[in-house]
Amino acid sequence: MIRAAAGVALVALLLAMPRLAPPYPITLLLPAFAYGIALLGLNLLFGTTGLLSFGHALFVALGAYTAAWLTTRCHVMAFEAIVAVAALAAAVVAVPVGLLCVRYVKIYFSMLTLAFGMLFYSFLYKFYALTGGDEGIRVLRPSLLGRGFADLDKVGFLTGPFYYYALAMLALAALVMRRIARSPLGLSLRAIRENADKAAFVGVSVRRYRFYAFVIAAVFGAVGGTLLAVPTGLADPLLAYWTHSGNLVFMLLLGGFDHFLGPLVGAAAFIFLQDFVMSLTVYWRFVFGALLAVIVIFFPRGLLGLLPPERAA
Amino acid sequence: MLFLVAAGLQLVFGVQKILNLACGSFYALGAYVGVSAAAWALGHGLPAPLFVVALLAGGLALAVIGPPIERLLGTVYDRDESFQLLLTFALVLMLEDVIRFVWGTAPVQLGDAYLVYGRITVAGSTIPVYNLVVIAASGLIAVGMGLLLTRTRFGRIVRATAENREMSEALGVDRRRVYARVFTLGVALGTVGGALVIPATAAVSEMAIDVIVEAFAVVVIGGLGSMRGAFVGALIVGVLKAGAIATWPEVEMLAIYVVVIGVLVLRPAGLFAGAAP
Amino acid sequence: MTLLEAVAVRKLYGTFCALDGVTLEIPSGQFVSIIGPNGAGKTTLVNVLTGLTPPTSGTVRFKGRDVGGVGPVRLARLGMARSFQLVSVFPALTVRETLAVAIQARRRRAARLFASLTGDRALWDEVAMVAALFGLTDELGRPARTLAQGDKKLLDVASAFALRPEAILLDEPTSGVSTADKHAIMAVLVEAARRLGIQSIIQVEHDMDIVFGYSDRILALHQGRIIADATPAEIRANDAIMATVVGRPLAAR
Repeated sequence: MIRAAAGVALVALLLAMPRLAPPYPITLLLPAFAYGIALLGLNLLFGTTGLLSFGHALFVALGAYTAAWLTTRCHVMAFEAIVAVAALAAAVVAVPVGLLCVRYVKIYFSMLTLAFGMLFYSFLYKFYALTGGDEGIRVLRPSLLGRGFADLDKVGFLTGPFYYYALAMLALAALVMRRIARSPLGLSLRAIRENADKAAFVGVSVRRYRFYAFVIAAVFGAVGGTLLAVPTGLADPLLAYWTHSGNLVFMLLLGGFDHFLGPLVGAAAFIFLQDFVMSLTVYWRFVFGALLAVIVIFFPRGLLGLLPPERAA
Repeated sequence: MLFLVAAGLQLVFGVQKILNLACGSFYALGAYVGVSAAAWALGHGLPAPLFVVALLAGGLALAVIGPPIERLLGTVYDRDESFQLLLTFALVLMLEDVIRFVWGTAPVQLGDAYLVYGRITVAGSTIPVYNLVVIAASGLIAVGMGLLLTRTRFGRIVRATAENREMSEALGVDRRRVYARVFTLGVALGTVGGALVIPATAAVSEMAIDVIVEAFAVVVIGGLGSMRGAFVGALIVGVLKAGAIATWPEVEMLAIYVVVIGVLVLRPAGLFAGAAP
Repeated sequence: MTLLEAVAVRKLYGTFCALDGVTLEIPSGQFVSIIGPNGAGKTTLVNVLTGLTPPTSGTVRFKGRDVGGVGPVRLARLGMARSFQLVSVFPALTVRETLAVAIQARRRRAARLFASLTGDRALWDEVAMVAALFGLTDELGRPARTLAQGDKKLLDVASAFALRPEAILLDEPTSGVSTADKHAIMAVLVEAARRLGIQSIIQVEHDMDIVFGYSDRILALHQGRIIADATPAEIRANDAIMATVVGRPLAAR
């Protein structure tokens, strides 16, 4: 009961934020929402299926570049279209990459995904004509549900319509993922994580289901990427850099990969923490590295792991 | 010289089953320290040809950070491998900023000091003799490692622990100490490798990650747990990389990763496989 | 009807010959025990029969189809399951969930993405039924890693049974169980097989009491070859076989 009440309070708070808080924190929440969606996907891979991908940023970058391409080069402004294309692109890319990667386990999987992530980064960096090289491609303001909101300036747009749109997308993504996690596939994936060999022996196609998880995660990642690109207005190669993937994993760990809401908590915590630390010192990476070490050693279940465990279903 | 890093990775992974992402960072550290050491030494009147010694000294000295880091990693030995990987990632982050703190973000290099050895012409291309020196050094170290592992008592203990952890413990081997030494050795290999490679290239902040991916490729080609494999793997990766760059120059950066992926796909067990994936 | 058969199966590991020309045929409806001293090749035989390892030469057929090296998933689909000597569970999944994994795999619904798991009444009813057969009803909500060793073993075997295979191979189903409990377990297995429609049970077993007490037929394996294939009574009467397998002639009963 307490949890439900807390949940409602949180949602109410989020809905009211634009009216309560100054613009800056609001604009911080936007990437948090975006990362939340991307992390929901990563959590399916890591928390549920036990596959640690160090290349998830590839799909986030893919989403961002899709948004950039469509708005800048193709003059397609409808955000719905952008999201759809990004999801499709992610699926298309994820199929060959996934087929390859799920044949390997654990460390090999992690390194292979890392390599693919960096491959994409190199591609983005080098193919100037296509991708704008190290400068990236700009992302123009998209239209939401057909409306351009031309009367609003950037901040007004971001803290107004876009904020609610992003929140709605996050809610939708969370609901979808919840459904997936509680589906037969979700159970099969958890079995694979627990004991892949035994899973095979009870008739679960280990490789194939891992592949499904991979593609789903990719789609979520790309959708998150499109959302991420709008506030910054830019899609650049660093989005695919391996440390970005590492950050994603960090966020997940911070929030707690055991819990369904872990990704969302982790994304928000990371963004705000990063903002805070960056304002203190330029050596934020060191601080974060140390923080990650502390988490891994002492709090592997993340922030949500600190809560008392919920009663078993 | 990719071999050196790969060898370090190899060693630690083979024995402790940890993939040390930070190996690349050690490499980078070694490079930076090496540059500083050599520059300092040269500035103080060290005769030019001996700058190599300064490099090596710098690299070796750095290995002292091995034991404390190993203790840190030791706290998560018993957990899922993913956590170990994450911990080494944390290390990478921290070390990256350490480097940034000490040396700043601009590339650091030693200039033309290495040319003091002159160049020679081999098969139509001119290469600095220094490169040959590095190759020779790698070869020497490779042989040395091989001997260490096969002839000495320490080497035998290392191999035994790699093969069967529990059993060696039962036989009285102090696992923790072995791990500590192995890790330090691995670190040393990385730092020395970084130091040696400096003259030919510059020390840049992206070194760490490029190297780690390549080193991983080498380890995978050669097969985990095999020194010989690491050496052969390094050769193969180097050749493939050069070939890729030669055929399609634009993709120099890509080449590395394509090679890695190709390797991981075609030969997951490596040529001299010690352990299956 | 022949359910499982092996024809001139040989398995070589390098130069070591684990199976040397094994031919056998198991019809539907039989309870077969495979016996033999350690190193005789029993586990290798089971691995080959269950598609885990391909034979070096010869064929293995299940329901007429070649299943050499097909792998566990495919085999489960075809209707054969097996359990292992070493207990293997899903540590964090509850008993209920563990059985559900197997049952939904059997019903080909393991990959459904948007179906609701909790709402599938038929699934949970079947889980309850299988759990009851194995005496695990009280443990349904507990994570597998918290179970007592004996219950873990039951769960392991139960999850194989939950697949309702036509043939099931059990690798030492009563190992690690105290003698007093062995018969209880065997009774459970036999009853469960009957209720779940399992046609043939093949077990590798060392305990001769169990072997003689439940088998329709015994296959004695020694150094990679079948040295006897007969009913319990015939085996028991054959001193040579008994000496090889058991080590000494049994006192007359």
